[in-house]
Amino acid sequence: MLSPERRPSMAERRPSIFAHALTPLVVPHLAGIEDPLPATTPEKVDVLIAGSGMVESVLAAALAWQGSTVLHIDKNDYYGDTAATLTVDQIKRWVNEINDGKIPYYENAKLYVSTEIGNGKYNSRDFGIDISPKILFTKSDLLSILVKSRVHQYLEFQSLSNFHTYENDSFEKLTNTKQEIFVDQKLPLMTKRNLMKFIKFVLNWEEQPEIWKPFAEKSIAEFLIEKFKLERAQVFELIFSIGLCYNIETKVPEALQRIRRYLTSFDVYGPFPVLYSKYGGPGELSQGFCRSAAVGGATYKLNETLVSYNATTKEAVFADGSKVSVMEKVIMSPTQVNQNSKNVPEQPYQIHRLTCIVEKDCKEWFSEGESAAMVVFPPGSLKSGNKQVVQAFILGAGSECCPSGTSIWYMSTTEQGVRAEMDLDAALEAMELSILRESSTDLENDNDIVQFGMNGQTVVNSVRLGQSFKEYVPREKVHFLCKLYYTQYTSTPPFGVVDPSLFEKNVVSDKFIPGASDNGVLYTSMPSAEISYDEVVTAAKVLYEKIVGSDDDFFDVDFEDDDDTQAGPADNSNYENAIDDEDEDDDMGMGKNESTEFVGEMEI
Amino acid sequence: MNSAVTSIKLVLLGEAAVGKSSIVLRFVSNDFSENKEPTIGAAFLTQRVNINDNTVKFEIWDTAGQERFASLAPMYYRNAQAALIVYDVTKPQSFIKARHWIKELHEQANKDMIIALVGNKVDVLENNEDERKVAREEGEKLAEEEGLLFFETSAKTGLNVTETFVAIGEKIPLKTAGDQETDSNGVAISDEQRIDLANSGNAAGQTAGCSC
Ligand SMILES: Nc1nc2c(ncn2[C@@H]2O[C@H](COP(=O)(O)OP(=O)(O)OP(=O)(O)O)[C@@H](O)[C@H]2O)c(=O)[nH]1
Ligand SMILES: [Mg+2]
Repeated sequence: MLSPERRPSMAERRPSIFAHALTPLVVPHLAGIEDPLPATTPEKVDVLIAGSGMVESVLAAALAWQGSTVLHIDKNDYYGDTAATLTVDQIKRWVNEINDGKIPYYENAKLYVSTEIGNGKYNSRDFGIDISPKILFTKSDLLSILVKSRVHQYLEFQSLSNFHTYENDSFEKLTNTKQEIFVDQKLPLMTKRNLMKFIKFVLNWEEQPEIWKPFAEKSIAEFLIEKFKLERAQVFELIFSIGLCYNIETKVPEALQRIRRYLTSFDVYGPFPVLYSKYGGPGELSQGFCRSAAVGGATYKLNETLVSYNATTKEAVFADGSKVSVMEKVIMSPTQVNQNSKNVPEQPYQIHRLTCIVEKDCKEWFSEGESAAMVVFPPGSLKSGNKQVVQAFILGAGSECCPSGTSIWYMSTTEQGVRAEMDLDAALEAMELSILRESSTDLENDNDIVQFGMNGQTVVNSVRLGQSFKEYVPREKVHFLCKLYYTQYTSTPPFGVVDPSLFEKNVVSDKFIPGASDNGVLYTSMPSAEISYDEVVTAAKVLYEKIVGSDDDFFDVDFEDDDDTQAGPADNSNYENAIDDEDEDDDMGMGKNESTEFVGEMEI
Repeated sequence: MNSAVTSIKLVLLGEAAVGKSSIVLRFVSNDFSENKEPTIGAAFLTQRVNINDNTVKFEIWDTAGQERFASLAPMYYRNAQAALIVYDVTKPQSFIKARHWIKELHEQANKDMIIALVGNKVDVLENNEDERKVAREEGEKLAEEEGLLFFETSAKTGLNVTETFVAIGEKIPLKTAGDQETDSNGVAISDEQRIDLANSGNAAGQTAGCSC
């Protein structure tokens, strides 16, 4: 529904362009302007955005395609801001800037870099390190927007199917598919049945309040144990690996939503639930959205700092002395503020990160043909007695984020304060031991742990990964090329990130603080601890609505041209579509190949 | 004989208004526009050409204006196997800018990138040689020093436009059917590894299911 205060759309504001949009074109307009554009910023824009992180970049593209004139700046000389993908040299600079207090909302940055990077066998540019790494669920709002905006064409995506849960000193590979659940020798029949019953329920949990409502205020663990009689191991897998929840207290509705997210994403593009982008995560995606915004007419200027904005005169002043009139709104990332910014929302939550580059390919953790894995350390699984989960996202050389023979380990926790680093260190130690044991040649001839695949090839199986390495004493050590600790602050708590109200309250400051350089500025949120991109679109839409008046035409772009690839994606925003008619087929998944529907794989 | 299609990512560089977008428009849809519409649109165009029994698919990236404030993203150069550096033969300033872009590419881009230096708008000289401000020899010399292909073109008449792209295509190692995938160090874009987000298995299955 169009709200009455809604700003005119691109069509209404630029009738000539609209006229073109009506006639299908073979190619879009490519004719340029007669005179070279002056290399100065425009005098007047609708929206000024400072900071080129994920939310700001998605917003810039949405606004540009809606028809707003956008000036998008970043005080850094690179794209990405809080979402940047950086080389090792850039990381060094970034760490220094954090410790000099030049990048607000980050602190305690500690960096070790081996001399082999730069002077030895590796170059700084061989690495792309994400300061806020993310994975993309294949059924998610961001994925639909990537397709709709065609930003996906600028990117390359790869699959990630291995989710490991760390328990009793060992890595257990997640039993992903129904087939795996059924062939899993270790699972008793009763457990299999209970698990299947739960999976069937969770796909449509919202329609069955009679089942979960009595547990609405309880923890998901209680619900799974009492209502579905699940065993601890399955409960942990469901909550922490599939649901990627942060602690055992996670409430039922939120956890159910997160568990379903994984299950509905499974098999959309193949037998895996998530994707990641090559060459870097959100750093690449934000560049893609910025490019899209530029194509839609936005002006880009890196190395530009906003010094002040006067909401009355609508004048924005930059560090280089230039000025611009901003007709609608100024949007700013908390990292882009200056000393007179007094309206930045509080950022009370800490995210602690430890990122390591190791000289190991870590292929033992990856599925065949893949270069990434998730490892989750549930509460209580680490030596440190961790209360919160530690999540680890592992990227191998196939991601092109690091050279061959190396990998990047991204570890993070929502634990607050000094405990956090202890948990991260404990997780690192566990991963080190695990990879040494699994890649060790001592074990090569052990028939118990090598399985033969259908064509006689050896496969590294989950039994091998699942074996405890308690007794194992490694002969070698993992060689670290880089180790980076830092703490980031955010206003977004690490749960419920798809709830717009979380972002609403951060955005607007109605106060007028005398002497503040940012009265009237809308702030974006710092990235939360969420490992998926799930918060981005929700947060961008909240801002979009504040500027345009409604989010009806958020990425309502229709490209008339085209190119051979547009088969039209599934409507990824509609979960129900993918999970209907579950009662048709009750024969333990026989004939699963006849159904292209995802439920064909998962239901009993 | 069924040969594989080689995809080549090609990026455009050059001062504003030298005719970058016009060259692409001429190449892709054999068209030219005198009018002054602002540059909007996909800025990512594809065109296939057959070169000696092989099909080459150009993925052509236009700058979208991000270069104006030195704000081109690394994504722009990444994996680009070819570049057109365009100047306007009637604008000496644009030739200076072309030198700047050559330097930038040597620093930022892949070492085996095929670069073509293109002096555009030669149609203007037809009636009036005085308009020429950059001698053909200057362009040739620069191209030779830097190891670039060189053409003088007109997007308006179409002179040498297709020839420029074909010459680039000829210099790029082509993928033949059955070729092993190469590491992405600049050779061919490996479409096989990519997961195409616009084509989910499910979506395809659902739409293809209905033949009514
Ligand atoms: N006479 C003549 N005019 C040309 C030629 N190529 C382009 N033009 C004109 O030059 C102007 C600029 O062309 P564009 O193709 O938009 O140039 P551009 O390099 O893409 O410009 P930006 O996108 O602003 O950087 C337009 O008015 C074109 O019609 C040519 O070969 N001959
Ligand atoms: Mg152009």
